[in-house]
Amino acid sequence: MKILDLAFKDLLRNFRNAFGLVMMVVAPLLISGLLYLAFGNMGGEEGLQIPVTRVQVANLDQPVGGAEGASVGQMLVDALTQEGMARFLQVTETDEATARASVGQEGADVALIIPAQLTERAYAGEEAAITLIKGDGSSIGTSVLEGIVNSFVDGLAGAKVTTDVITEQFAQRGLAMPAGVTQQASQQYAQWSQSLGDTMQSGEPSTIQVVAPAPAESAEPEQDLGAQIMASVVAGMMIFFVFFTGASTAESIIKEQEEGTLARLFTTPTSQSVILGGKFVAIFLTLIVQVIVLLISSRLLFGIWWGTAGALLLMSVSMIVAAAGLGVFVMSFIQNTRQSGPVLGGVLTITGMLGGLMTTGIQNLPAAYATVNLFTPQGWALRGWQFVLAGESAGAVLGTALVTLAWGVILFAVGVMLMRKRFA
Amino acid sequence: MTNQPAISVQNLHKDFGEIQAVQGVSFDVQDGEIFSLLGPNGAGKTTTISMLSCLLAPTSGDALIKGHSIIREQMDVKRAIGVVPQELALYPDLSARENLLFWGKMYGLRGKELDQRTNEVLDLIGLVDRQKGAVTKFSGGMKRRLNIGIALLHRPQVIYMDEPTVGIDPQSRRSILDSVKELNRQGMTVLYTTHYMEEAQELSDHIAIMDHGQVIAYGTHDELIEIVGEADRIDLTINTESERILETWRTMPGVEQITAEDGRLTLLVNDSNTVLPALFESSNRAGVRITSVQIQEPNLESVFLHLTGRALRD
Repeated sequence: MKILDLAFKDLLRNFRNAFGLVMMVVAPLLISGLLYLAFGNMGGEEGLQIPVTRVQVANLDQPVGGAEGASVGQMLVDALTQEGMARFLQVTETDEATARASVGQEGADVALIIPAQLTERAYAGEEAAITLIKGDGSSIGTSVLEGIVNSFVDGLAGAKVTTDVITEQFAQRGLAMPAGVTQQASQQYAQWSQSLGDTMQSGEPSTIQVVAPAPAESAEPEQDLGAQIMASVVAGMMIFFVFFTGASTAESIIKEQEEGTLARLFTTPTSQSVILGGKFVAIFLTLIVQVIVLLISSRLLFGIWWGTAGALLLMSVSMIVAAAGLGVFVMSFIQNTRQSGPVLGGVLTITGMLGGLMTTGIQNLPAAYATVNLFTPQGWALRGWQFVLAGESAGAVLGTALVTLAWGVILFAVGVMLMRKRFA
Repeated sequence: MTNQPAISVQNLHKDFGEIQAVQGVSFDVQDGEIFSLLGPNGAGKTTTISMLSCLLAPTSGDALIKGHSIIREQMDVKRAIGVVPQELALYPDLSARENLLFWGKMYGLRGKELDQRTNEVLDLIGLVDRQKGAVTKFSGGMKRRLNIGIALLHRPQVIYMDEPTVGIDPQSRRSILDSVKELNRQGMTVLYTTHYMEEAQELSDHIAIMDHGQVIAYGTHDELIEIVGEADRIDLTINTESERILETWRTMPGVEQITAEDGRLTLLVNDSNTVLPALFESSNRAGVRITSVQIQEPNLESVFLHLTGRALRD
């Protein structure tokens, strides 16, 4: 009974502490909310919204070999006007004078002057300059255009190398260069280069097709990429702040020592086991309340689907035990509240980062980093929550939950042993 | 059992590494009396109280509280005592009532009894009107009173009060001293530590004077005063720091002891009526001017000075 009295008193104090409440509930939701506002819509239908850049293009280049021949200038214009570019660039073809004059005015943000005889010079390996005139303000669209032009020029350089190599090969074999081979090779190189660029942009190599395994049947509603990233971010934030609360609640033992109330408690007919037990119950109860509030509010605010009930329960319990364990363990080394602030912040930030809590929204991290994650209880908790978010069953989550739980139990046992020794 | 002292301290020792904080302290406190441990800061009073509260384990020796050993029967001892710590030990973010209810539960009170005792104690310490206010907003005196009230909740047979008047205003101090007397009148045995001579003198049936971890004198107020005999105490200040005049006075007939501290001289003399004119005469001859003089009857301060050669305020 006294254990519950002690725990209730601590709960009362915790929930009266405005700063504590902010760190327990408001901070994780606020940070997740900010991330949601910043990136949450990336995976949606509308995608990333970038203002459209107006481009005036003056293409002075002429095809080589008559109207049917190839034109490097036209290839560049085609590249800028291809499907998909309209999201970033609004391209208008015009003459050079108009293009130059329109920059900085209402007509255009940037002008692109493709010089005359570009194709001819390119095939001949001579220098030619494509002119890009930017307005006062620089925008993402301008940078995109600059990138495309640079990439295109790189392609031309590559094409020149190709033709040089072919010419050299013919010469080494003592053969005469057939007419049109150079142009044909350049065109083929340009097509290949463009195709490679498209492939890199889409992330779907044409030579490799990855077929994802059919997902296990679950109650998981369809979530787009943005929602999945958001769910990972919220899970990471929840783990970070639950561990923070675990440690800061454990700090109440040090606080009571400084307030003199711990010594006073030891003068009452209450055993040391009951007093420490009450403190630990308070930590667990606080974390339970925090996790429930975070799960429900993130569901309501961000629409996050927290997996199956069994898996959710397993991971919640194991995470709470791990957070309480780490908190008690860290606090058992701390002598006073002046130490606890920096130590708490340092230990939880470092172990949180190592555990991958800060990089939940980043895809394709190195495999070694994923291994490092598992050297911390937070890393195991994150792994478990990722299973939960993927809609895995309780059985599938059990192993990870048990490892997370084991982390908590071991840290808790060592922490309690050290604390009992201190107050003996 | 009836003649057994409420507190019997037997050759108590406490070492902290090389430091011997308490060195063989022994005394008895009879049922229903107020007993003071008087001594300067660092004398070992709080360490002694901590051992008697079962907070610190003695290095050697033992004490019986209402017949229970502080080493072997700690829970019985804790049930018998109420402790008022020197530093405030309250939950500042809880109200006065919430503090009392919580501590009452820690002493095993429940239900109606807890509620009733909480109301009684709130009344006793004069915080009925402020019972719902957060302790953090209380004045120093109110916090001190609540600090005492907590120790009274379970009607302890013995109450330890460790310097309960440190750092509070005279009005609150008066209120605390009166409440100590009232508790004693109701039959409670009080072990009181202080470095204020006047408090020990006003409250105590018996006094143990402590210095450097030892009891250097023990008895009733009158018994202790007898230690210094008929000596008067003269406090005086002079206009210059003159070692020569001190040397003259030390050899003067009737002067038993002289201490100098912060420009203030304290002399223990056989008869102030005969010694004082001689002091003025010799100071005149030496060109030293006496700027203030105060003559006091022998008191506990004089006893401490007599026994240690130092003032109690050290």
